Amino acid sequence: MGRIVLENVTKSFGDAQVIPPLNLTIEDGEFAVFVGPSGCGKSTLLRLIAGLEETTSGQILIDGEDATRVPPSKRGLAMVFQSYALYPHMTVRKNIAFPLRMAKMDQAEIDKKVEGAAKILNLADYLEQKPGQLSGGQRQRVAIGRAIVREPAAFLFDEPLSNLDAALRVGMRLEISELHNRLATTMIYVTHDQVEAMTMANKIVVLRAGHIEQVGSPLDLYRTPRNLFVAGFIGSPKMNFIEGSEAEKHGAKTIGIRPEHITVSADSGPWEGTVGVSEHLGSDTFFHIHNSGLAETITVRADGEVGFKHGDRVRLAPREDVIHRFDAEGLRIA
Amino acid sequence: MRRAAPGSRVMSDRKLPRLLQTPAVLLLLIWMLIPLGMTLYFSFIRYVLNSLRRPEWTTPSLSNWRGFGNYQFVLNNKDFLFAIQNSLLIVCSILFLTVILGVLIAVLINKAFPGRGIVRVLLISPFFVMPAVNAVLWINMILDPVLGLQGLAVNGINGMIASLQNAPVVGWFFSLWPQLEPISFRATQTSAYAVIIMVTWQWTPFAVLIFMTSLQSEDQQQKEAAVLDGAGLWSQFRFLTLPHLSRPIAIVVMIQAIFHLSLYAEIEIVSRGNGNKNLPYLIGEFANNNIGAASATGIFAVILANIVAIFLLRMIGKTLME
Repeated sequence: MGRIVLENVTKSFGDAQVIPPLNLTIEDGEFAVFVGPSGCGKSTLLRLIAGLEETTSGQILIDGEDATRVPPSKRGLAMVFQSYALYPHMTVRKNIAFPLRMAKMDQAEIDKKVEGAAKILNLADYLEQKPGQLSGGQRQRVAIGRAIVREPAAFLFDEPLSNLDAALRVGMRLEISELHNRLATTMIYVTHDQVEAMTMANKIVVLRAGHIEQVGSPLDLYRTPRNLFVAGFIGSPKMNFIEGSEAEKHGAKTIGIRPEHITVSADSGPWEGTVGVSEHLGSDTFFHIHNSGLAETITVRADGEVGFKHGDRVRLAPREDVIHRFDAEGLRIA
Repeated sequence: MRRAAPGSRVMSDRKLPRLLQTPAVLLLLIWMLIPLGMTLYFSFIRYVLNSLRRPEWTTPSLSNWRGFGNYQFVLNNKDFLFAIQNSLLIVCSILFLTVILGVLIAVLINKAFPGRGIVRVLLISPFFVMPAVNAVLWINMILDPVLGLQGLAVNGINGMIASLQNAPVVGWFFSLWPQLEPISFRATQTSAYAVIIMVTWQWTPFAVLIFMTSLQSEDQQQKEAAVLDGAGLWSQFRFLTLPHLSRPIAIVVMIQAIFHLSLYAEIEIVSRGNGNKNLPYLIGEFANNNIGAASATGIFAVILANIVAIFLLRMIGKTLME
C-alpha cells in the first residue's frame, strides 16, 4: 500500500517560502512524476515526503496516517538518489543488505532477499564487488536494489538518471518502468526532463516556483495544457506561441500550436516563411522557420524525407482543431 | 638541419629526464648516506670526547677499531631494553589517545553551532606551542603536586571533604573517604605518563585538524540514504563515518609515529630521563662522552624505526591503496 496525500503542505527556509500551500494526492500503485525547471521545488517536495526536510506546516498522510512528524526511517519509504549514495567501502551485497541489517533481520533471510533483488536487477555477478568498480548504470541498479529489499510503501526517485549518459538513460528508463509494472508499488519520480516524465508517468505533476501548475496523465497534459507554462514545458520540440493579429483572429491573446501539428509544403497553407536551420533526425525533420511575421521562429516537424533547404520559401498549414488558445493571464481558453 | 639518429632519440627520451633528476637524487643520497656512514664508522671504533687515561681515543681513527664492542656494550647496558620498551609504550599510547580524542572532537565540532570558528582556532592552538614550552607549562603549572593545578585541586578536594566530615546528615559518608594524595609526575613510576599526557594534548589538535577536513568531504547524500535505511546516529558513525576516516587515521598514525619515536625535549624537562628514557634520550646520554656507544645506539634506533615503518606501511598501505 502506498497512498500519499499532501494537505496544505508548506516549506520555508528562513523567510523564503519555497513551497506555498500545496495539495496533492498520489494513489496507491501510481507512477507520479514531479517535473519542472531547476529550482521549482520538486526535489524539496520529494524530500518533504521522505522526511529528510521538516514540513513547515500542513500534513503528509501515508496510507491515511499522519506521517508529518514521523522520522524518515519509520515512514516505510525508500529513496534512490541522483548521486546513487552507495556506501563506498561496502560490497554490493552489503550495500543492498544494509537496510535489512539495520532492521536487525535474520541473516539467512537477508541473504535470500539480497539474492532475489540481485536477480531482478541483473546484479548477481557483481555482489562481491565494491561500488567503485561498477559502471554508472550498475551503481544505479544497486541503489534501486537497496530500495527494493525494504519492500517500501513507495519508492522515491530523485533525478536518478541525470548522471548517466544518453543511451544508458533510455535503457534505465525502461528498466524502471518495467520494475513499476512488476512491483505495482507507488513510485514518485523527480526529473527536469519532460521526456522522462512523458514516457514513464501515470501522473505528471508540473511544478513552477513551488506551485503545482497542472496534474494529469501525460496525454492530458499534452492535449489540454492548463496554461502557457505547461504548454511550453510538455512536448518536444517546444510548442510555438503566436501573439498579435493571428491570435486575435482566434479570439485569444496567445495561441499555441505544436510543431507536429503544422504541415510544411511549397505551396499550400495560410502562413509563409523562410527555412532556417533544419535538424534531420532520420525519422523526422525539424525546420526552424523565420520571417513568418508570426513569431521569431516557428518550429515545424515534417517527415524525414521532406527536403527543404536553408533559405527556401515555404508555406505552413496548421491543424485548426489542435490550436491551443490562451488569454491575457496565460490561462487556457476552453 | 640535422636529423637525430633513432638511437639517440630513445636516449633523449629516457636519459634526459634521469639526468635532470640526478642532482636531486645525489643531494638526497649525500644527505642520508654521509651521516649514516659516519654513524656506522663511529659505532665500530672507540671514540670518546674526553679521556685522561686513553687520550688516543678522543680522535676518531681506524686504529681504535672495536668491532662489535660498542654494540655489545649498548646491549648490556641496563637502560637499553627499557628504552626500547618505553619508546614503544610512549608512541603507542600517544597514537591511541590522539586518534580516539581526535575522532571524537572532530565529529563533535563538525556540526554547525555559534562560535564554531573561535572554538576551532582554540582547539588548534596547542599545536603551535613549542615542545619545550609545552613540557615546562605542564610539569610546572598543571601537574606539579604542590604548586600546579593538580596540587591545588587535590588540596581543594581534601579541604572540602574535611569540612563535610563534620556536616550533620552526610558527615559519616564523607568520613569514609580517604585523604587524596597528589601524584608527583617527576617520579620514576609516573614520568612516562606525564610525557604521554602533554604530547597527547599537543598532538590531538593535529589529528582533529586532519579528521575535520576529511569529515567535511563526507557525502551528505550517503548519510541521508543511511537515515532512510534506518541507521541511527551510532550506525551512521560506525558504518559510514569511521570507514570514511580510515585513510586520514592511517595518515595521522604514520606521521605521529615518525615524530614521537624521536621525542626528546619533554623527556628531558620532565625528569631528565629518570624512569623514562627512549632511544633518542639514551643516545643523548651516551653522547655526553661515549660517541661510539651513542652511534651504536643510533644504529639500533635506525633499525627500530625501520621495523616500525615496515609494520606501519603494511598496515596502512592497504588503506591508502584502496
